[in-house]
Amino acid sequence: MTSKRILMGNEAIAFGAMKAGVQIASGYPGTPSTEVMETIISNANKYGIYAEWATNEKVALETAVGAAYSGANAMVTMKQVGLNVASDPLMSLSYIGVKGSLVILVSDDPGPHSSQTEQDTRAFGHFSNIPVLDPSTPQEAYDMAKLAFKLSHEMEIPVILRTTTRVSHGCADVMIEDIDPASRDIEGFVKDPKWVIFPKLTAQRHPWLEELQVRLSDRFSEYFKENSFNSISKGNSKIGMVASGVSYLYAKEAIKDSSETFSLFKIGTVHPFPEKAALEFLSNITDLIVIEELDPYLEEQFLQLIGRHHLDMNIYGKKNGHFPLSGEYNVDTVIDGVNSSLKDINTDVPFLYHSSPVIDKENVPPLPVRPPTLCAGCMHRTVFYAFKKAAGKLRTEKGMESIFSGDIGCYTLGNARPLNMVDTCLCMGAGISIAAGLSHTHHYQRDQKAKQVAFIGDSTFFHSGVAAVISAVYNNADITVAVLDNRTTAMTGHQPHPGIGLTATGVSTKVIDIADVLRSCGVDLVETIEVNDLGECIDTAKRAMEFEGPSAVVFKGRCVGITKGKEQYVVDEGKCTGCMLCVSQLGCPAIFSTSSGLPVIQDNCTGCSLCAQVCPSDAIVLKEDSQ
Amino acid sequence: MKFDILIAGVGGQGVVLASRLLATAAMDAGFHVTTAETIGMAQREGSVTSHIRIGDEVCGSLIPSGNADLIIGLEPAEAARNIHFLGMNGSIVVNEHAVMPSVLNGCVEYDPYQVLEFLKGNCRDILSVDFTQLAKQAGTYRAANVAMLAAAAGADLIPFSSGDLWNVLEKMVPEKYRDVNRKAFDMSLERVSGIKNPEQQAMDV
Ligand code: SF4
Ligand code: SF4
Repeated sequence: MTSKRILMGNEAIAFGAMKAGVQIASGYPGTPSTEVMETIISNANKYGIYAEWATNEKVALETAVGAAYSGANAMVTMKQVGLNVASDPLMSLSYIGVKGSLVILVSDDPGPHSSQTEQDTRAFGHFSNIPVLDPSTPQEAYDMAKLAFKLSHEMEIPVILRTTTRVSHGCADVMIEDIDPASRDIEGFVKDPKWVIFPKLTAQRHPWLEELQVRLSDRFSEYFKENSFNSISKGNSKIGMVASGVSYLYAKEAIKDSSETFSLFKIGTVHPFPEKAALEFLSNITDLIVIEELDPYLEEQFLQLIGRHHLDMNIYGKKNGHFPLSGEYNVDTVIDGVNSSLKDINTDVPFLYHSSPVIDKENVPPLPVRPPTLCAGCMHRTVFYAFKKAAGKLRTEKGMESIFSGDIGCYTLGNARPLNMVDTCLCMGAGISIAAGLSHTHHYQRDQKAKQVAFIGDSTFFHSGVAAVISAVYNNADITVAVLDNRTTAMTGHQPHPGIGLTATGVSTKVIDIADVLRSCGVDLVETIEVNDLGECIDTAKRAMEFEGPSAVVFKGRCVGITKGKEQYVVDEGKCTGCMLCVSQLGCPAIFSTSSGLPVIQDNCTGCSLCAQVCPSDAIVLKEDSQ
Repeated sequence: MKFDILIAGVGGQGVVLASRLLATAAMDAGFHVTTAETIGMAQREGSVTSHIRIGDEVCGSLIPSGNADLIIGLEPAEAARNIHFLGMNGSIVVNEHAVMPSVLNGCVEYDPYQVLEFLKGNCRDILSVDFTQLAKQAGTYRAANVAMLAAAAGADLIPFSSGDLWNVLEKMVPEKYRDVNRKAFDMSLERVSGIKNPEQQAMDV
């Protein structure tokens, strides 16, 4: 039986995986990939699937690898930068291969909207010799998830299912099939030297891996005859277009009024590149326009193909400036790129039509800038503010400066005005190591040394903070680690982690206490404090910063994304002097200034009381009916 | 058939729920639909949009500029920020309730009144109501998104009826919020029954 549902691309992938019989799934949350695992988790009991959040992507991939070695259908999910973390096992795994099946879901983020890089996972497929499927719609994502498991099992190699934000985070009507419970009939692990990587084994397997690339490329060429993921539509000019992923839909819409003109090569199985089908396509063409987001991956494949075959042909893409090398595409980008190409092509094919805005944006009155901000009542704001105050005191008392290294999570937003509390941010877990690196340069500095503080969230601490702490302690780095423990992975939508005593599927488990971990790593001063009283937070922060050598404070508080306080605060206009400290110091999105010169607290106040504690005139008070 | 809707607002205003509602109603009406949603960092009080594309064919989820048939602005500045998406003969439903930015960015003085005047002056077919106030009267300011969808349906600005929309909403909204949403929905319908102008009705047929 099939049924039609509105599904987000990520949900569709999860349904496809469950239809394909996934038995074991692991992952680490990361926008825009998170909902794949979340959907599997919420169906885990129903279909008898084992689903977990791992501490990081490397661990997740290795866990899935173990499962696949024993013959299970395994899946692992992550965002594109997560694949960087998991790249170590990935690179070796291609030589070993798998027994059951292993699908690696990786979501890229052109733009980027919610990522620190604009990298292209197709390049990873190329680099690691692992096949990559690239869906253009949620429906294709569903169907390709099924294909990925099938291919992986048949070819004994992991398969990457790569999405982009618009496929992962868009909803569409998707036709799905009924799902059976996961089979309980796997062979189990069979001992064999082939599971043990050694230089000799790698040398033996490398030819197999290269030969597999050719077999897969041929297979993918065959798909152009039988499978809707790859297709060719022939046009009546000598101009061809190639597109993959969501760009294919943009291309189709861009040429909707002249679709008979252009030949269109739509490719869903992007790596290994289907050379035979591509060559055949090129035989009717003199000019080729390549439409793809992120890297010029397909463009390079075609360039080397025409070079190797000495074809007389021009290619128009990113490399010769017709399409942007960075940022997300849309229909307008594609129209501009095609028109720019048509200008260079000696042709009478008319330019594509551009619908232009009816109302000119130029004339819009000034609009407020709305950078993302920590939620009203977020505990991170109190901690950042406490460190700001503590650092101010150290500056006046001892002339000591402070440098704040941040990390990846909601608390990266501590960089925004007026807090300005993130001086460095690089990647998951880097804050502690960067702080350590900065501290080791103190000997070389002329001026007085600065105190190094690293902020790290609870989930990020488990992800990649622990090794950094150990290294910092081992090497006597003079740093203070501030763990922002709101007992959830907040930015990606509140997933559990090893510190809260619950697994992904809600089973109770050991609580791994962050303060205990810090102590056992050898940090001499470790304090834990509930984030309520600002004064206490300032004192604790200052004590830790004054400590010579590695120190740490675990700040425990709530994420208002999960538990909102019942209380709300109001400004008592009789007492308020209009000093605006609450507005200018905190940046809480519930408080704003009005033309009357007094601050106003809006409905989204969650009652953290920070502003009331900051107000020098006791003018911010509990709203009476709010308790 | 092709109908493109853009919903714009501030993170936390319920843009994603509104777009899921429209998408489900579109599917129930037998159309293909694709949406593009803002999920992630910008949801923390940033500017967010959802694109909803309804039609006979599957297409990419981002609306090209100058193509939207309807802009639903949960906040005046966010409607104006996305005004380049509005197409020929497109309409706007805008919430007059402004969300003031907290951080003093030093650059602009945001005057919601001025922005609303701009929208009204430039778009022939605009429905401008303080939906937050209306939702508050119904029981919670959070139902402004639902009230706005009801208004769009009531004024015949979307390709399905208010009844169809409610049927979807009823299934998607948790039981405990159903009554307050129903109230906001009905109050909004009632509100637009008076506003709906004859010129616009003529345009719809
Ligand atoms: S109590 Fe003050 S600082 Fe806390 S959420 Fe409410 S307005 Fe913001
Ligand atoms: S979701 Fe939670 S952690 Fe993130 S900004 Fe909001 S309150 Fe803070």
